[in-house]
Amino acid sequence: MLENSLFAVLALIMLGGAVAMVYLRQTLYGAFGFLCAMLAMAGLFALLENGFLFLAQIMVAVGAVVVLSLMVIVSVNAKDENLPHEPYKLRWILFSAALTLPFGILLYRTLVHLHRGFAESTEGFGSLQAVGASLFQQWVLPFEIVSVLLLAAMLGAIVIARKEQP
Amino acid sequence: MTPEPFLALATLLFCLGLVGIVSRRNLFVVYMSAELMLTSVSLMLATFARVLGSGDGAAMVLLMIAVIAAEAALFLAIIIQLHRGRKTLDSDAFAVLAQRDEEGRDA
Repeated sequence: MLENSLFAVLALIMLGGAVAMVYLRQTLYGAFGFLCAMLAMAGLFALLENGFLFLAQIMVAVGAVVVLSLMVIVSVNAKDENLPHEPYKLRWILFSAALTLPFGILLYRTLVHLHRGFAESTEGFGSLQAVGASLFQQWVLPFEIVSVLLLAAMLGAIVIARKEQP
Repeated sequence: MTPEPFLALATLLFCLGLVGIVSRRNLFVVYMSAELMLTSVSLMLATFARVLGSGDGAAMVLLMIAVIAAEAALFLAIIIQLHRGRKTLDSDAFAVLAQRDEEGRDA
């Protein structure tokens, strides 16, 4: 019962944040909606008994990605006339939502078809030890590839965002 | 608790992100919608990790979080670069690849 009400609260925060992000005109308010959605996602990871993912989501997605986005939005400091002029925004959103609806139904039915109900909660599921053992035994190669990817992304971001040399 | 609500929420989030990408022209909203879609996929992965009761799903979600961080850094750098050139956040202003001439006709 407690789980269900927690899930309802988190889902409300998450959907509210996502809708605000998609709908609001001012970018900064949208980014706060994004922040709410990411925080609620961390809560959902905790609800799935995955304490390690909860921490990783808070530290990386909220602490790094969202804060970086907020800093960029504030530093770009777009004036109202620099924002795109979208007179038919609501109409476009409803139209694309109607187009997306069949795909969403298909996706949901496929996903539900795959599940078998939650497994019995085992000792140490989602703990740092379990994730670390799996990460450094079966997933070593993807882990190393991701480290190279992060290095490449860092270099690429520096090169792209650098001012042109005179 | 059953997995269905989690899967339904992940599907809704994915669709919301898709709607945001398709219907909005603000570059930041497009960026955040892409992030939302990626995050909804990691919610699906975490749900199935719980369904199967194995630690592999958490490892995959961790790798996905790293990919999301890399994507965010690159996307934000590109937004800064685009905004520096044209002083606008309108994605319609960057239609150089669409090869339109000044009146907006296809070349």
